[in-house]
Amino acid sequence: MQRVIGAVLVVASTGAAGVLYGAWLKEYLETLLYLRHVVSMMKGELEYTGAPLQEVFGRVAARVRRPYRAWLVGMERRIDERDGESFRRIWNHAADESLSSLRLKREHLAQLKELGESLGQADLASETRNFSRYLERLEKEIEKERLQMAAKRRIGNCLGVMGGIFLVIILL
Amino acid sequence: MKENRKKKQILNILAENIRECLLKEDLDFAELQEIRLRIGKPLIVVYRNREKVLPAGGTEKYAVTREDVRETMDYVSHYSLYAYEEELRQGFLTIEGGHRVGVMGKALLEGARVKNIQYISSVNIRMAHEKIGCADRVLKYITKNREVCHTLIISPPRCGKTTLIRDIVRQVSDGNDFVKGCTVGVVDERSEIGGCYQGVAQNHLGMRTDILDCCPKAQGMLMLIRSMSPQVLAIDEIGTCEEVHAVEYAMQCGCRLVASVHALDMEEAGEKPGVGDLIRKHRFERYVVLGNSRHPGEIVHVYDGRGNILCSG
Repeated sequence: MQRVIGAVLVVASTGAAGVLYGAWLKEYLETLLYLRHVVSMMKGELEYTGAPLQEVFGRVAARVRRPYRAWLVGMERRIDERDGESFRRIWNHAADESLSSLRLKREHLAQLKELGESLGQADLASETRNFSRYLERLEKEIEKERLQMAAKRRIGNCLGVMGGIFLVIILL
Repeated sequence: MKENRKKKQILNILAENIRECLLKEDLDFAELQEIRLRIGKPLIVVYRNREKVLPAGGTEKYAVTREDVRETMDYVSHYSLYAYEEELRQGFLTIEGGHRVGVMGKALLEGARVKNIQYISSVNIRMAHEKIGCADRVLKYITKNREVCHTLIISPPRCGKTTLIRDIVRQVSDGNDFVKGCTVGVVDERSEIGGCYQGVAQNHLGMRTDILDCCPKAQGMLMLIRSMSPQVLAIDEIGTCEEVHAVEYAMQCGCRLVASVHALDMEEAGEKPGVGDLIRKHRFERYVVLGNSRHPGEIVHVYDGRGNILCSG
């Protein structure tokens, strides 16, 4: 009886791990979607008001949730401090500091940092184009994640249950 | 208090090296008039009406670097030069406190028009200076029954006409013994009167003043009349036909006009196309002629609408 209970628990826990993996994938996709939303707001604000980045960050910060708010407020503050940092450094530092909890994949974080490298140096049309270019890339990444997610979730679920059964067989 | 704020506003926009240079000098920021940065050239300030190459005591002068100019421009523009395209096109932008940052470099053209300034190599920071009370002397001549007359200030450049208009606006807006406080509309095409930063006037313009910043004068006057119904309209440096027509239109709408024009004296102003017509038609009731033979803002003459002298020197 104990063996049966043990076997059920092992299969249930490995199965749950598979489900959690699927949930994490979904959550990651939502993170990217929200990031797109935040950057779109920044672009919209920039296009509409033509305001300096500091103001754009401040206005968008008031309308987004954590940790994006901390990210934007942090940049707004650093720009105001004017302590010799370049904008690229401010942007990168804020992304590393405030967005670490999002656990963005390396390539996604790199793309976000690339956006910061091109901001603040050109005219309004170019600045808007930089945002558009980043949003296009992000859109592609989201699509990629979305396409992969269904298959990955299925594999995760199957592997979880199958792995559990395999473990039970070995243990028995 | 005010001096500390000015000091902070100025230091805030300067590159770290420049900031250090200035702080070592122990300057009284209230007396600081200009800071000039030119790549590869010494750092120069105009202090108490005299030019100073910094560091003043040292034999080796500090040479401004490209990095200093870039860093300064980053701070001035909040890392967002695009947000100041319009201002840069005119060669300057206004920062918090109404101070003016003039920039020069390579002009980027779009057709025959300057689109932007690239490779900024010179930066000139001119401190805002208000002369509160400088209109005291003329106010009694340009008012009648506690209302301001249509007034034209005639002055060559650098004789204080903008400073005078600013103080007239402030006094008319707040009201005093000579004039009862009334709504004043200011069209400030080059942010010279109000020294606006983010739409808010940094200079004292009185409690009943509405300011339209960075707007072409002719268009701005009509906008103000339609939207804010000012009793007095103030504009600096009228010249073009559109502006003259807008001035006439405003006068016919019941607004009192306080305007300025670049000219040496009444005669020269009368010869100007557009403005000359207004003078000949006796549209203005008062003329204030400024000079600077003794000091900037010196009142040479005040005339009535018919050209009779009301006050001299």
